[in-house]
Parts: sequence; structure tokens; C-alpha cells
Amino acid sequence: MSRVSSVVILVLLAGLGIGATYLMQRTSAPRIAAEQRLIDSRKLLDLLPAQTYDNQPLEQPLALADITLPSSTLLGGYLATKAGQPSAVLLRSQTMGYEGSIELLIAIDSHGKLLGVKTLKQSETPGLGGKIADWPNTWLQGFAGKSRSDPDDAGWALKKDQGQFDQVAGATSTSRAVIGAIHDALRYFDEHRQQLIGSGTHD
Amino acid sequence: MTKSQGLQNSLMLAPLIGATTSWAAALGLWLMFIVVVSAYGAGMWALRSRLVPIARLLACLLLSATLTSCAQMAAQLWSLQWHQPVALYAGLIALQCVVLEYNDFFQSPRLDRLRLCALFGALMVGLGLLRELIGNGGLHLATLAPGGFILLGALIAARQAWTRSTPSH
Repeated sequence: MSRVSSVVILVLLAGLGIGATYLMQRTSAPRIAAEQRLIDSRKLLDLLPAQTYDNQPLEQPLALADITLPSSTLLGGYLATKAGQPSAVLLRSQTMGYEGSIELLIAIDSHGKLLGVKTLKQSETPGLGGKIADWPNTWLQGFAGKSRSDPDDAGWALKKDQGQFDQVAGATSTSRAVIGAIHDALRYFDEHRQQLIGSGTHD
Repeated sequence: MTKSQGLQNSLMLAPLIGATTSWAAALGLWLMFIVVVSAYGAGMWALRSRLVPIARLLACLLLSATLTSCAQMAAQLWSLQWHQPVALYAGLIALQCVVLEYNDFFQSPRLDRLRLCALFGALMVGLGLLRELIGNGGLHLATLAPGGFILLGALIAARQAWTRSTPSH
């Protein structure tokens, strides 16, 4: 062993090491990124039963028109399909809650029935309105199966507003905001069913 | 016994608490450790005689960093879902290689090396199994870090009580 040979070996080792790491990174980065997106989307979309869709809804956002609704705004929409047939529409809705804005992901099946609601962002009072962010959420699950016609327009309100739904304990404004956003989304789906689902379903 | 047994053991303590939330994660991390340490040992065995002592340190750093990075990327490719929680501890393997080299681990007899790796593996998988069983059984503290420490302490206490109760050892 001599100093010169040591330096040569070190330089070779550094070159090999950097080269191998760089090559490995280049070849594996796209696949790892795709896998990461898949994991994230599966986590986000767990309000849809896994066997009801086989596409990547988040990769194909829908173009929505008339996104300003009476008590909420639509931020985006996605279509979930199975074997080419539309199985669910996901709408991202933003509404004003008690402390700030609430962002919800509302899943509606092709017949206009609510599949599930998930809270994406909220800054409500922790422990009171903040309960809507728990997942799985018993209160939000109570909306599953409802549609625009069941209950009728007057029934889409809190019980204390002559409607049908219980509120989250101690969070009246939050509950009203969420109910308003869900009702808006169902009405929007009814009015724009053709654009959202396209051809393929007949009722 | 060795120059810095404390540092070596504390570097093994970190994954022992952090990566044993499930026995599959613990097993996977131990396998990564074995692969990287074996490749590193083989590489250094070839290079050690050809380098002056100062260059040995640099070569050790380069080799351990390269091998750990490649191992991490390979693990991510194989199963990103499993690897994400233990990615932090996988990076620690590089430091473990350097400390083991400093403690002349790679020049100790083969049986000693195998014994250390087997002990590490048994502890990891055993603790992982215990924590997962207790966590699923209802005590969710076991899957968090404080529960891991408490469990490890309880195991050490049990072992000391056992060795003390059998004075013929």
C-alpha cells in the first residue's frame, strides 16, 4: 500500500459510488413516484369501496362549469369508472364553516345517491366542529345513501331548522355548513349529470 | 472490550425501538442490515490491505454511503408501502457500518460476527412480534415509542431476574 495507489483507489471508489447511486436513482425515481401517487390516492379515495372502481380518478380531473353554488364552491371533480362505465363522481367542495373554510370530498354514485363524504381540510374548533375530520366518521356516514330527493329540499337541514339531520354536538354552524355543501353537491350533480357522467348511463 | 461498545449498542437501540412497530418492518430492516453489512464487509476486505489508514476512513465512508443509498432505493422499489415508516432507520445503517468498522468488527472472528447479527435479528423480530401482539390485543401504547422502551426495559428486567435466580450460571 502506498499513498499514490490509495489515492487512485479512493478516486475510483468515489466515481463508482457516485455513478452507481446516480444510475439507481434515475432508473427508480419514476416508478417510486408512481407508487407514491398510488398509495396517496388509495388513502384519499377510501370513501369509495375498492371494488367499485378500477381507474385513477385523481389523474383525470373533470372540467366543471357553474362552480359557484348557493352555499359552497366546487374546487374540482373526478370520475371513477369500472370497466369503462362511470361508477361514481367525486366533487371537491369548499364552504365557509364556523372558524374558516372547510373542504369536503363528496362521492356520489351514478344514480345520484351519496356514497360518502370526507373532510379534506378544516380549521374548526378542535373537539367540537373539528370532529368532522375524524376518519371513519359516524356523523358523515349518516349521510350515505341519501340523495337530492331523499330527503326533499326542506329536509336537507338540521333538526332544529325543521330538517332531518342531527348536528355534531356543540357545532351548529359547522354542521349547517357541511349539510349545505352536501346538498349543493347533490343538486349540482342532478343538474349537470350529463356533463359529469357523459354517455353511458340511462335511468 | 472494544473501543466504543456504547456507541455501537446505542446505534442498534434506535432501530430496535423505532422500526419494531410491526414484525414485518423489523424483519425487513434486519435483512437490509445484513445485506449492506455483508456487502460492506466484502468490499472493505478487498480494499483494507491496499489503503493507508487515513484512506481507509474515507473509503469506509464512501462504501457505506453508496451501499446504504442503493439498498434504500431497492427497498423502495420493492415495496414502498412497507419501507416508508422505516426509511429513517434504514439510513442509519450507514452509520452503523462506520461504527462497526471503528470497533474492528470486521476483523473479529466469524463466529462473533454471526452471533452479533443473529442476536440483533432475534431482538428485532422478537420485539416486533411482541409489540404487534400487545398492540392488537388492545394496549395501543405498545406500538408507540414509549411502549417500546417500557417493553424493552421489562424484558431486560425479566432476563436479569432469570439469570439471578439460577446461580449456577
